[in-house]
Amino acid sequence: MRLARLGVALAAIVPAAVLAAAVGSTPAPLAPEHIGIEKLPKRSPHWAYLLDVSWSNYIDERVYVYDGDAGRLLGMMDLGYYGNFAESPDGKTSALAATYWSRGGHGTRTEVVEWYDNQTLKPRGELILPAKRAQVGAITPFNLAYSADGRFLYSTNLTPASSVSIIDVPKNTVTAEVDTDGCVQAIPSAPHRFTAICENGRLLTVAIDESGHEASRAVSDKFFDVDKDPVFLQSVPTPAGVTFISFLGDVHAVDLTGDKPRFDPLWSVVSKTERGHWRPGGQQMLAYNVPLNRYFVVMHQGGEGSHKESGSEIWVFDGASHQRVARWPMNVAKHGGAIALLATRDDKPLLYVATDKSALQVLDARSGRVLHTEPKLGQSLWYMQNP
Amino acid sequence: MQARFDRLVELASRSVARRSSRRGFLGTFAMAITGVAALPLLPVRRGSVAEAAELPAKPTGAAGKEAGAPTKPKIVTDPSSCEYWKYCAIDGFLCACCGGTSTTCPPGTEPSPITWIGTCQNPTDGRDYLVSYNDCCGRTTCGACTCVRNEGEKPMYRMSLNNDVNWCMANDNPNYHCSVSVILGVAEK
Repeated sequence: MRLARLGVALAAIVPAAVLAAAVGSTPAPLAPEHIGIEKLPKRSPHWAYLLDVSWSNYIDERVYVYDGDAGRLLGMMDLGYYGNFAESPDGKTSALAATYWSRGGHGTRTEVVEWYDNQTLKPRGELILPAKRAQVGAITPFNLAYSADGRFLYSTNLTPASSVSIIDVPKNTVTAEVDTDGCVQAIPSAPHRFTAICENGRLLTVAIDESGHEASRAVSDKFFDVDKDPVFLQSVPTPAGVTFISFLGDVHAVDLTGDKPRFDPLWSVVSKTERGHWRPGGQQMLAYNVPLNRYFVVMHQGGEGSHKESGSEIWVFDGASHQRVARWPMNVAKHGGAIALLATRDDKPLLYVATDKSALQVLDARSGRVLHTEPKLGQSLWYMQNP
Repeated sequence: MQARFDRLVELASRSVARRSSRRGFLGTFAMAITGVAALPLLPVRRGSVAEAAELPAKPTGAAGKEAGAPTKPKIVTDPSSCEYWKYCAIDGFLCACCGGTSTTCPPGTEPSPITWIGTCQNPTDGRDYLVSYNDCCGRTTCGACTCVRNEGEKPMYRMSLNNDVNWCMANDNPNYHCSVSVILGVAEK
């Protein structure tokens, strides 16, 4: 056995030595290499978390960490089945809530939130959750969301009765399950409140006390009609609260800074002649950048029932004037239609665009110029999130 | 199976009723119905009808898919085709491509007792039918015949008409595999 190993080693070394001797000007052979573990570079606002739901094998979801400047995948975290993702406000931890079974797709079921260290991309702890976590294909920042100070994590449930589990992060425990009366999502607002969206077109806001239990609740005025023009679940956070967009393209900006939600005047991304023919659609059809105060919308031509269709264009709007400032066509034939958008948070932002062919394009969000294209990254990039 | 489902609906109904308003209870209860006997309670309303009031009467300008002269659509009778009429509000994998049919789950899987509802027009007889979209559960996603159609589909806050949530959620094993479409009856005008 030892001789055999020696033989293999000699076979690997001798030919190189013989070759070097035969050709006098050949450079020195390469030095032996050592295996190591790459360390993540310094975080950049141009990074993004890309959620791949692995649609054809759903129990294998993952979160890619991607550097839009370098056009490079930096690492990956496991997201199990119907996973939700949230990053802590201090940026040190990612919370990944997911379903696992002991035998792959069957066996004993576990609902768990794993706390990943964002320096190492390794889980450093976990918390078992009640087996009622909401498993929802429409992925938003508000299926799982931290309070602004990082004290609580709100995890949405559906059995199909809807509720929210309140997680005390420092104590690593579930303090309470708050019944949300058929309303869904947990949109956080300071200090310790979350807001859910209801079938009757109103918002339910629940305040949480210091012990992690419900302190009070209030229901807003009605701001949309689900029969006439429902708002997408996929909304975007804003400095004051949250912005929704409707199936027909109306924009509902909501201020959540006070005790009661306040609704800004409605505006639309479509003209009267475009209405009903050009529509928002996809999986993550709306993005927003604060420094530029610009909205980005995935748009397609289609009729009723087309609200999940990918977009042939990205429309850009000024958040103050509500004027359309650009239309950026997608190369649909080459890369597929757009299904998800994410604008980075900085004042020279990138716009990440994922397509229905699981291509990823990184654009200059000010000009629309394509900076980088991944022809295929993973299987189904349906949601992206800022670090 | 029926007895188990009855218990599930009863338990869910009691649980929700204890903690919810009447309106919230009705909304949640409606989505847990699969029986034809309960049809009058179903909150089905065709989205196209509802949205029509919001649209310009005679749209001009950009040409959407709805624009242009109407053409007689080809009738698709293959249940492994996404164009099959019963699939008008389905989002998932067709069980007919996964070892089942349009109404049966593949071997080794279990149907979901709770569902979402669509209203689809049968091009052969011109009638609108209420269709229950049950998921088949217990294996990972089938991966064959993805079909995404969303006529009348609504976001998950109107759960009975939503196809984004995992309708295997109440199964012993909530692993989604594929979807079937089961006619409940003719939709009332």
